[in-house]
Amino acid sequence: MTSVMVVDDDQDLAEMLGIVLNGVGIEVDLVSRGDEAIDVFRNNPPDLVLLDIMLPGLDGIEVCKQIRKQSMRVPIVMLTAKSDTHDIVKGLEAGADDYMVKPFKPSELVARIRTRLRRAGGEISSNLTIGDLAIDIVEHTVTRGGKEIPLTRLEFDLLVALAKEPGRVFTREALLGEVWGYRHSTDTRLVNVHVQRLRAKIEHDPENPTIINTVRGIGYKAGATGPRG
Amino acid sequence: MKLFNIFRRSLFLKVFTLSSIISIALIYFLGSNLYVRISNGIIDEKISASLSEAESAIQYADYRFIIANLNPSADMGALVEEVVKSTNLSAKDSGREIAFINSNGKVIRNIPAITTSNFLEPNSIPSTFRAEVQNKSELQWTRTQLRYVSGEILDGMVIGQKITIPRVGKYEMYVLFGFDGQQRTIDLIGRSMWGTGFLLIALIMITASVVLRQVIKPVKQAAEVAEQLTSGDLLQRMDVKGQDEIARLGTAFNEMADTLERQIRRLENLSRVQQRFVSDVSHELRTPLTTIRMAADVIHASRESFDPVIARSSELLLAQIERFENLLSELLEVSRFDAEVAVLSLDKVDIVALVRRSVDDLGFALRERDSEIRIDSQEESLIIDADPRRVERIMRNLLGNAIDHAEDKPIDVTINANESAVSISVRDYGVGLAPQHINRVFDRFWRADPSRSRIRGGTGLGLSIAREDAQLHGGEIRVWGDLGQGSNFVLTLPKTQESIHIEPAISELPTNLQVK
Repeated sequence: MTSVMVVDDDQDLAEMLGIVLNGVGIEVDLVSRGDEAIDVFRNNPPDLVLLDIMLPGLDGIEVCKQIRKQSMRVPIVMLTAKSDTHDIVKGLEAGADDYMVKPFKPSELVARIRTRLRRAGGEISSNLTIGDLAIDIVEHTVTRGGKEIPLTRLEFDLLVALAKEPGRVFTREALLGEVWGYRHSTDTRLVNVHVQRLRAKIEHDPENPTIINTVRGIGYKAGATGPRG
Repeated sequence: MKLFNIFRRSLFLKVFTLSSIISIALIYFLGSNLYVRISNGIIDEKISASLSEAESAIQYADYRFIIANLNPSADMGALVEEVVKSTNLSAKDSGREIAFINSNGKVIRNIPAITTSNFLEPNSIPSTFRAEVQNKSELQWTRTQLRYVSGEILDGMVIGQKITIPRVGKYEMYVLFGFDGQQRTIDLIGRSMWGTGFLLIALIMITASVVLRQVIKPVKQAAEVAEQLTSGDLLQRMDVKGQDEIARLGTAFNEMADTLERQIRRLENLSRVQQRFVSDVSHELRTPLTTIRMAADVIHASRESFDPVIARSSELLLAQIERFENLLSELLEVSRFDAEVAVLSLDKVDIVALVRRSVDDLGFALRERDSEIRIDSQEESLIIDADPRRVERIMRNLLGNAIDHAEDKPIDVTINANESAVSISVRDYGVGLAPQHINRVFDRFWRADPSRSRIRGGTGLGLSIAREDAQLHGGEIRVWGDLGQGSNFVLTLPKTQESIHIEPAISELPTNLQVK
């Protein structure tokens, strides 16, 4: 059974989240303090973390960074009462994969959780190469010259989405649909922040990217396949 | 005109020029007065000296003539010659000239009719003066010009008296003096007075500029500090030195700045507290609202198992929660605009694709109605600098408003661009707007017809936010409307944020109403 750790200081909201998620067959672990969340995560790692930004003990941004130190893989979805660009970008840069602004529809929350837990490239069996990177779909790893590059699941998904059709230009909206499962969204902050994070990990020179190229005014495309000098 | 403006702008130039002009005038007036007095004094002195010298010369000549006349065979001609030539120094060399003239112009006893010394022209003695001398027995004098045969002319005076030589005839003796030496002294005095005058004026100008600088410097500093205060740098103050009037100006100015700063900080703080409160309230409301929303959703999901009244209630509950949510997020947005903390997150945006997507997203709303949205674009794609979330929200609001008022008639969306901007017009042919209401459509919570209900549950803030969003981009929304004719909303956005002046690419007036 899938387990989700809910970190929120509002008891009623946490309980309600529990009811909704239990209703769709997800087991829920409720934590009300930021500092406790780290311990709970270490002792009983969940499949996904729902994290409020304003928390007693340790704030959500810091909790997010701590969890990322322990696990690259676990998807983190931030819950925030603020829709200000500043807070959201800070959360995403701290390692969150997605965010939801309160109040949200329960159905939307469930859809997001499902998207984050889905295995990327499910329909592709073979392995992919892009630039001098090798992507192993089954093992869920990215290697350069046999050395693994640690990526979050979302970064992996983003890379796979671009790499499986090299040269195709993806609009940000298309990537939002493909990777985040959004149908109608122009929230390009999500794409921009994650592309930057991904580039920082895989590009030789993040300032002059060659693997994930920007197509001005439209979006992104994966660079040519093959080893790079 | 240009010069006048420079003078108007500079206190220094104004005061400096004024004080210079006044001191020049004063020095000129005093100097010329003094010059006239001195030169008159010198000439008067010379005149009185000349008079006594001439008197003795004439008396001495008269005496010689009387003595010589005692001897009838005496050579009177030689005596006159001697008397006249006795002046060995010419008037040109500060000496004198003598003229001896027979009143009737006759040559008697070897005495020439006219005898003059040093080639003096007889016409140096004016004929009117001669007449005066002939008629009176006392010494006479007048100013004249001494003329020489060589052509030289000298300013000077002539003194004359008639002399009667018994048994010979009536003569006039004239003694002439030049003022040449006096004139040279006067010229020297004049030249040194000019020099002194210039020196004085220069000194006054230097003093004035030094003093002015001393006075104007703090005034200039006060002006600069005031300008900086105006531009928002509340920490600027004047330097205060000493305890004079200038220092008092500085102290008073600084006190004013302190008071100003305190007031502004207080108001800023108040407004920050106010904004903060609105923002906090909105945020604090969100968490319980999320719980309510989820609870309502859970209830709503199982409404089929409830009795119809409760089932319907759950539907209403959910619908109103959604409306409440919209209102809350729009209030928060409005409070952001009011606090001026709304920021653009700019991106390269294909405006044509964005408009098409906005229309597609409204599909569900259209299905409830029979309205149809037709898009007409000159371009396949138009990329501009914009905040996609905000532009999408503007489109959602404009399209939503059009659908609400279209009365199931079609809606035309047109996209056009010019050099600096892109315009998107949303035209409906429904109820329309009374012209006097055109400017009110952007007012918060405003309704054209209060009895008309909100069909789509709009919050009444949509158009207001749309306009703020457009203005944040440096763009605008223009409106045309007429009752029964529908309305036309034209959104214009600059292509890049560098565009300062933008022209709408579409007029808000419908084509058939435009004056050709």
